[in-house]
Amino acid sequence: MKLSRRTFLGASTALSAASIAGSFSERASAAADTVVIASLHDLSGPLDIYGAPSSLCMKVAVEEINADGGLLGKKVELRVYDGQSDINKYPQYAQKAALNDRVVMVQGALSGAAREATRPVLRKYKIPFIYGSFYEGGLCEKNTFCVNTGGTQQVVPLLEWSFKNLGKKLYYIASDYNAPRNFGTWNHVLAKREGGQVVADDYYPLDVTDFTSAIAKIQTAKPDIVHSCLVGGPAMSFYRQWAAAGMLNKIPIISIVFAAGNEHEVLAPEETDGVIVAYNYFQELDTPKNKEFLAKVEAVAGKDHPYINGEVFGGYSGVMLWAEAVKRAGSFEREAVLAALEGGIRWDGPAGIMTTDGPTHNTTQDVHIIKVKNRVWSLIEKKEQIPPDTYGGKCNVFTNPNQTDFLMPQI
Amino acid sequence: MDQFVILCFAVVNSIALLALISLGLAVIFGMMRVINFAHGEFIMLGAYATVIANHAGLNLWLSMMVVAPITVGLIGALVERLIIRRLYGHLVTTMLATWGLSLFLIGAVTAMFGNTTMGVSAPLGNIPIGAYSIGAYQLVLIAITALLVLCSLLALHGTKYGLIARAAMQNSEMAATLGVDCDRVYAVTFIIGAAISGLAGALLAPISGVLPHMGAAYVARAFVTVISGGGALITGFLSAATILGPVEALLSYFATPVVGQASLLLLAVIILRLFPTGVSSFWTGGR
Repeated sequence: MKLSRRTFLGASTALSAASIAGSFSERASAAADTVVIASLHDLSGPLDIYGAPSSLCMKVAVEEINADGGLLGKKVELRVYDGQSDINKYPQYAQKAALNDRVVMVQGALSGAAREATRPVLRKYKIPFIYGSFYEGGLCEKNTFCVNTGGTQQVVPLLEWSFKNLGKKLYYIASDYNAPRNFGTWNHVLAKREGGQVVADDYYPLDVTDFTSAIAKIQTAKPDIVHSCLVGGPAMSFYRQWAAAGMLNKIPIISIVFAAGNEHEVLAPEETDGVIVAYNYFQELDTPKNKEFLAKVEAVAGKDHPYINGEVFGGYSGVMLWAEAVKRAGSFEREAVLAALEGGIRWDGPAGIMTTDGPTHNTTQDVHIIKVKNRVWSLIEKKEQIPPDTYGGKCNVFTNPNQTDFLMPQI
Repeated sequence: MDQFVILCFAVVNSIALLALISLGLAVIFGMMRVINFAHGEFIMLGAYATVIANHAGLNLWLSMMVVAPITVGLIGALVERLIIRRLYGHLVTTMLATWGLSLFLIGAVTAMFGNTTMGVSAPLGNIPIGAYSIGAYQLVLIAITALLVLCSLLALHGTKYGLIARAAMQNSEMAATLGVDCDRVYAVTFIIGAAISGLAGALLAPISGVLPHMGAAYVARAFVTVISGGGALITGFLSAATILGPVEALLSYFATPVVGQASLLLLAVIILRLFPTGVSSFWTGGR
């Protein structure tokens, strides 16, 4: 066969066209098979104690979804990013997930600072953001859904219970940054409502390790309850020194952050026995659904997996709620999924029934008041279906669709 | 009355803690003029040595008083030989080198033991004082700190080695001419300083959380105390601790802890404005 220039060109064009088409169809079929979501958590650095188990919970959720046949006929693929406890990494990875991986959802950015760095990026690229941490409340943004408890959902039930059962005089000791100060405001709101009294608001810098003066001060004030919102390594000193001073059995400690970093496993039982906290989820929850969930966690991470607390549970509930929304919407598109979430996705999971709330983009859920003894939590009281706070109606994405600022509680 | 006792306890405790975290630094920085940015990490290593030895089944007191100072002393010996020895007299270079060392130690400990908080609980229970109660261990801590300071004072001023060490630090050429092996004196002094820092970390372990970056909470206060103390080694930093400690403790009690911390730093600034070479210049005549 004589190869003329024309036939050569024609043949090569056809060949390259076919190969391009082939690669397209390969891509198209790849796109048809899987859909990518991103986990953006601190897997190293000081915050890995929260980030790694949260990411693990996302993995458990994804494996469960895939084992049930995936979503809308596609497998869900989890792209894991390590924020390295470094705020600068968050916008970078969020951008990479959005542009490079073409994810349909991002979950993570646990700390308030990481969240605030991530939120605008995902908003810009129109990728739905699921926020899985319990937090101070007041985040009402179109593109973000908060699946864990917001400030009032823990503080209100815990303080209501405490004022009723422990006494009326509350002493607040907390780390000095935004969230604890925000919770401090809620103490006053609740005290006013329940006829209690906040005798002190003590804020400690995050590097304080000596709490001798603090403990003397609390002893002088003689409160009925100590509400602690101390976080981080140095704050462990407080619990140590409090127990060493023999105060643990004298004045009960309540908290909404204790054990989020598994403090109850690090400290000795004689330093923590009797501490009372409020979370939507705790690992000892005695329900069939929770047993199933823990079996799945074990299947993914082995028998000695990290303790699953209320903070990291958001990694699981976030993905599951999102998956329910995708099923209802019949689509992975942002608008459709957000509309489904806003319509009130009801999911009956290990922590009980959770329902997404349209106007606030937060979640209605059960909250458990629990007490630790010998490193094991047990249920004191279950408060059912606590709705998110609307901040006097200001938290409403339907009426304020362009609202992106963080709302602060008002007394 | 009870309240007065408890306040006195808070004040003495605050002085003792400042003294405890500064003693090792007073030896290394105050005496040898080596700016040791890894001081906080020496404290951290002492705390880790204690926790690990104790978790391995060793008696807590033995872990604190023996294992921790020996471990950190050995690490100090290694550090002196590998890094510090080459840099005597170069202030800025030592500063950078020890800063790097501090980052390395944090990283190494994180890699080995993870980033989770470890710890041992305080022994000895508590002592009731009227309506109040205080941890008995903290009283022991104060006593041990006082004993340590006393021993250091005696070692420096009452022994032959103390005399040689002071001579080598003050005028190494003259000391060398008189037959003192200055390199060896430097090395031994550095090791002793490191061991004391390790012991401080060990003693702090039962009342604080032990984690890789815990040193950061101590290093600034230790430097402030030693620098405000000035030239006279032990009496200098001790008097600085006696001035700074009560101010921090009392203002934390009567105002807020933030005010307490801020006033500690502010007071240090005032001290250094009045006595540029530290409070001890008041009686050593260096003013």
